Amino acid sequence: MSRSQAALPGSVSATHIWKRYRPDSRRSVVQETLSAIRRRQRRRARWVLRDVELEVQPGEAVALIGLNGSGKSTLLKVLAGVTHPNAGQLDIGGRIGALIEVRSGIHPDLSGRENALFYGTVLGLSRRQVMDRFDDIVDFAELSGAIDRQVKFYSSGMQMRLGFSIAAFLEPDILLVDEALAVGDVGFQQRCLERMKDVLNQGTTLIFVSHDMAAVEAMCQRTVWLDDGVIRSDGPTADTLGRYRVGLEEKAALLARLLDDPVRMTQLSATSIDEALPETGRPLLLGLTLASEMSGPVDLCVGVSEGPATPIFTLTRSVDLRVGENDLRCTIENLPLPKGRYYVWLGAFGPGGSTQMPWHPAAPLDVEGPPRHPPPRGVMQLSPVHVTARWDARGSESTSFQREPTDGTAAALLSPR
Amino acid sequence: MTDLERVVTPGARLRTLITAEVSHNEQPADEWAYQRSLRPSRVLGDLWRARQIVRTITERNLRVRYKQSVLGFAWALLTPVGLLIVLTFVFGRVAGVDTGGIPYPLFAYIGLLPWAFFAAALNTGGSSIVSDKALLNKSQFPREVFPLSAVAVAGVDAGMALVPLVILFLVEQQAPAVTTALAIVPLLVLIAFTTGMTLALASIIVYLRDVRVVLPLLLQIGLFATPVAYGLELFPGWARLAYCFLNPVAPVIDSFRRTVLLGQAPQWDYLGAGAVTAAVVLVGGYALFKRLEGGMADVA
Ligand SMILES: Nc1ncnc2c1ncn2[C@@H]1O[C@H](COP(=O)(O)OP(=O)(O)OP(=O)(O)O)[C@@H](O)[C@H]1O
Ligand SMILES: [Mg+2]
Repeated sequence: MSRSQAALPGSVSATHIWKRYRPDSRRSVVQETLSAIRRRQRRRARWVLRDVELEVQPGEAVALIGLNGSGKSTLLKVLAGVTHPNAGQLDIGGRIGALIEVRSGIHPDLSGRENALFYGTVLGLSRRQVMDRFDDIVDFAELSGAIDRQVKFYSSGMQMRLGFSIAAFLEPDILLVDEALAVGDVGFQQRCLERMKDVLNQGTTLIFVSHDMAAVEAMCQRTVWLDDGVIRSDGPTADTLGRYRVGLEEKAALLARLLDDPVRMTQLSATSIDEALPETGRPLLLGLTLASEMSGPVDLCVGVSEGPATPIFTLTRSVDLRVGENDLRCTIENLPLPKGRYYVWLGAFGPGGSTQMPWHPAAPLDVEGPPRHPPPRGVMQLSPVHVTARWDARGSESTSFQREPTDGTAAALLSPR
Repeated sequence: MTDLERVVTPGARLRTLITAEVSHNEQPADEWAYQRSLRPSRVLGDLWRARQIVRTITERNLRVRYKQSVLGFAWALLTPVGLLIVLTFVFGRVAGVDTGGIPYPLFAYIGLLPWAFFAAALNTGGSSIVSDKALLNKSQFPREVFPLSAVAVAGVDAGMALVPLVILFLVEQQAPAVTTALAIVPLLVLIAFTTGMTLALASIIVYLRDVRVVLPLLLQIGLFATPVAYGLELFPGWARLAYCFLNPVAPVIDSFRRTVLLGQAPQWDYLGAGAVTAAVVLVGGYALFKRLEGGMADVA
C-alpha cells in the first residue's frame, strides 16, 4: 500500500509487488488517451512484476537471477524507490546505495572528485563524511592519476570503477548492485567481490543481480530466481541455481528437439558399470543412438556442463555415420564430477566445420557421490571438479603429522572469468 | 509435419510448447494498490530533508556550465546586456518609448532582469528532468529538486546580471530610490510564479517532449508581450488589471521600476492580481508535479 520507513536499518520487506510500465513508451500520453477514448478501453500493459515477495534480513546477501527482461532491474528500481510499483507494500530500512545502471548518476562533465562529492550528497552524506572516505574511493578504483580529469575522458571500465567505488564506500545500509562487474577487468572484478564481502562483513545488506553464476555462488548464500516477473525459486543459492540451470537446459533441449538437422540423437543412456547410477570416481558409460540422414565422417562432441553451453569437459571423436540408426558407446574411466545435476551436451560437425547437429543439451545427468566443498566467500569457482586429496596437518603441540584421510571433493579454485 | 508447421521458427514453436505460460490478465487485489502520500506536510518535509541535494545539484549545474567555456561567468551577463543593446536601439532610439523621464537603458534593463530570470528558469528547468534522467535511477529523493535547482541557477545568473545594473546606475549618475526595499514584494511574486511555472513545465515535458521544442518560441513571444521594452502604460487602462492577472511578470516589472527607479510604491492592485495568479500557479504547478512524479523514472 505504501512505503514506510519504520523498518530496521538494512532490512528489506516487499510484499505483493506488482509493476507494469505504460503500454507503449514511444507513444505520448496524449496519443494514448485519445486512442483510449476512441476505443473506449485502455490497452493492457504486460505486468513486469507480479506479486513479488522479498524479505531480506539486515546483513544478508541475496542474489537475483533470471533471463533478460525478467524484471530484475525493475525490482531493484522499486526497492531503491526510484520507480513506484502499481501495487504492494515496501518497508525499507536505512540508506540505499544503488548501482543500477553502470554509469547512472556519473556526470561526464565533472571530474571524478566532483562526482564522488556529488553522489555522496545525493545519498544523504555530508561533505565531511564523503571527504573522510575519499582516499579509499580513489585507491580502490585505482584512479589516482585520473581523479581530477573529467569523467567523459574515462574509459567505460574506469567509469564503472568510479561508480562502483563510490557506491561501495559510502557505506549504505543496503547496497543494490546490478550487473556492475560486466565491464571491469579480471583483477577489478575480483576486488569488487572482495569489497562486497567486506561490506557484508560490516553488516550491510546486499542485493546482487548478475548473469554470472560463479559470482552469484561466490557472494550469496541465498538466491532468488525471477522468471517473467514471478519468483520461481527462493532459497539457498545451490538449490536455486540448480533449478535455474535445469530450467535453462530443459528449455534449450526442448528447442533442440524441434530442429530438423541431418543428425539427431534418439536415445542416450548414462550409467555406471552394471547399470548402476553414475557415481563420482567410477566409470561412466554413455550409450548413444544417433539417427542420421547423411553418411560420412563427422566429429562427434560430447560434453558435460553445469551451466548453459559452457561444458566442464568435452570429448571429441571422429565417427563414420551411416544413413539410419548409429549406436555409439563411450566410457569415461574416472568420472571427475562431484555430486550434483549436470547435463550431457552433444554436437556433430562435418568436415570443414559444417554443423550436422548443433551443440545442444541432450539429457540430464545425475551424479551420486561425496558432497562438494564450496569455495570461500568472495571466491569464484568456475566448474566443479572432483579431486581426491589427503591432508597432513601439524598442530602446534604434536610433533608428527596427523594424517586425516579425506576423500572429499576439493574445490578447484580457478581465477575468475 | 505439414509445410505450414515447418515455416514457424523453432522459438515460436517452443513458446507454444511451454505450457507454463502465465496469463497476464491477472490483477493485483485492490487493497494492495500502491498509494503515495501527497499530504502537503509530508511533501514539504521530504523537500526540506532534500535541501542539501538541491544545493548540490545547483552547484553542479553551475560548475558544468562553465567547465569548458572561456568566458566563464561572463556568459551570465552576455544575454541581458546583448538584449539591452538591441532594445535600446530599437525601442529607445527608433520607437521612442515613453519612460516617464528615466534613461531608457536603465528602464529597459530593470525590465530585462526579471524576464531573463523567468525565461532562463523555464528553459533549463523545463527540461531538467529529461536531461538529468541518469540521476533518476540513482536514488530516491523528491524529483522537484531538479526544477528547483534550475530556478536557483537562474537566480544566481540574475544576481550576476546585477553588476551591469550597477554600472548603468553609475553611467547615468543616478542612485536607486529609497523605496528599493519594497522591491522584495514583487521579487517574491516573481519567484513564486517562476517556480510554479517551472514545476508544471518540467512535469509536462517528461510526457510531452514537443513542448520543449516550442518553448523557446513562446518565450521569445513572451519577451515582447510583456512590458520589458516598454511600460505597462502602453496597455489601455481598462485592460491592465486583466492583463496583470494573466501575466504576473508584467506587474512585477512595473513594480520594480516604480520602487527602484521612481521612488514610488508598487501599484498594489496590479501587483496583487499578479500575486494571486502566482500563488495559484505555484500551488497548482507543485500539485501537478507531485501527481506526475511517480511515473517520471519510467518515461524519462
Ligand atoms: N521504462 C520502461 N518502460 C517500458 N518497459 C520497460 C521499462 N523498463 C523495463 N521495461 C520492460 O520491463 C521488462 C523487464 O525489464 P528489466 O530491465 O527489469 O529486465 P532485467 O531482468 O533487468 O533484464 P536484463 O537481464 O536484460 O537486465 C522488460 O520486458 C522491459 O522491456
Ligand atoms: Mg537489468
